[in-house]
Amino acid sequence: MDAWVRFSAQSQARERLCRAAQYACSLLGHALQRHGASPELQKQIRQLEGHLSLGRKLLRLGNSADALESAKRAVHLSDVVLRFCITVSHLNRALYFACDNVLWAGKSGLAPRVDQEKWAQRSFRYYLFSLIMNLSRDAYEIRLLMEQESSACSRRLKGSGGGIPGGIETGGLGGPGTPGGGLPQLALKLRLQVLLLARVLRGHPPLLLDVVRNACDLFIPLDKLGLWRCGPGIVGLCGLVSSILSILTLICPWLRLKP
Amino acid sequence: MDAFTRFTNQTQGRDRLFRATQYTCMLLRYLLEPKAGKEKVVMKLKKLETSVSTGRKWFRLGNVVHAVQATEQSIRATELVPRLCLTLANLNRVIYFICDTILWVRSIGLASGINKEKWRTWAARHYYYSLLLSLGRDLYEISLQMEQVAHNRAKREKPSSQDPLEYSVADEETEWLQSFLLLLFRSLKQHPPLLLDTVKNFCDILNPLDQLGICKSNPGIIGLGGLVSSIAGMITVAYPQMKLKTR
Repeated sequence: MDAWVRFSAQSQARERLCRAAQYACSLLGHALQRHGASPELQKQIRQLEGHLSLGRKLLRLGNSADALESAKRAVHLSDVVLRFCITVSHLNRALYFACDNVLWAGKSGLAPRVDQEKWAQRSFRYYLFSLIMNLSRDAYEIRLLMEQESSACSRRLKGSGGGIPGGIETGGLGGPGTPGGGLPQLALKLRLQVLLLARVLRGHPPLLLDVVRNACDLFIPLDKLGLWRCGPGIVGLCGLVSSILSILTLICPWLRLKP
Repeated sequence: MDAFTRFTNQTQGRDRLFRATQYTCMLLRYLLEPKAGKEKVVMKLKKLETSVSTGRKWFRLGNVVHAVQATEQSIRATELVPRLCLTLANLNRVIYFICDTILWVRSIGLASGINKEKWRTWAARHYYYSLLLSLGRDLYEISLQMEQVAHNRAKREKPSSQDPLEYSVADEETEWLQSFLLLLFRSLKQHPPLLLDTVKNFCDILNPLDQLGICKSNPGIIGLGGLVSSIAGMITVAYPQMKLKTR
């Protein structure tokens, strides 16, 4: 009970719960439609989803300030690539929240002349840019870690007296390759890279969580902007998974990726 | 901006801000309604008030657990009167939040068989009881404070003081009232959290009094009361030392 009180005292936590509920409703609605459930039930689920969406928009009022504050903090990072990616991502998030506030004003009747479609498209565009920046940052971190890991491995191998034939030293295989064994060598190299990637991600749960979350989130604006129509089922599932993962980072702060 | 972000990161901070907005809209609507040519503004204020009020329900979901935890904490209070008042007040809050959740389920269309009026009356009644008990506790604490201040002043005052007020020929009753009010003012000045809590509970009780028909007022007074209590709530969230602690 104490844990729930502490968790729900953060407004972001409540918003994430509503998001999880919203995408669960979307997924449920899609499943019910596929299995031919009663239109009454489908209408109730859609109504609940609409209520959740509008409620979330109200809960998010003021998040622009939070995003701008995060962007201000990110400007002081030492690494240039991280600084660029994170700052631009937060700025895009701030713009996304601003568009979202305009949509709320339109939906709640305060500004009835707001063009809902146009502002929705705008908001999804900013959301997409921010996710792309997040994924670029994740890719950069993965790349750094993979380099670190491979150089550490090669140091360990050199230290343990010579290389093991066919070992995990990726650099050595690249050398002047024999002309006949090009494709199998490439396949082996690829397999080693994948193994290294898996090792890096397994050793850094916050990074893995962030990558999966951003990748799942990516499907939502791609579908809504019409760039890659995956259907409401996939969008609902991805939204639900990413909401659960972000709730996890709120419950366990050590799982949050720190810049 | 950093302070604003820290404030709004707390659910209660954000909720109080929205509550202040909701009651400001109510107050402004009451003030602008009789004026001619302000119909559009009044309509927009009504829409804002409704959407903020509906959205705030999302903040209240799950507060049953908060109220149960508060009940557990208040059972451990040292003095009898605060322990009794706070425990009963929190129990009433638990019932209020249960009624509120049921009303929410009805409002989003998940269960249409619920009698909205009946549950709304129950919710208002239990909210009223909880505020009444909280005010009872505040009055007890104020009386304790006043006793202490009077005692301190009696100790500090020299026995040979020539206070002209004591020997005046003014009416005894007004003199008593004046010294009582002075004592009350001094006690509350020394204990800002108690003043804040009393003001908050007093302003909050105006709403259920009107809803239950015990003391009908107008939307202007309810709006003003709600706004003042929301500001008091925001102060306790922004400055946790201003929250009235249970001994």
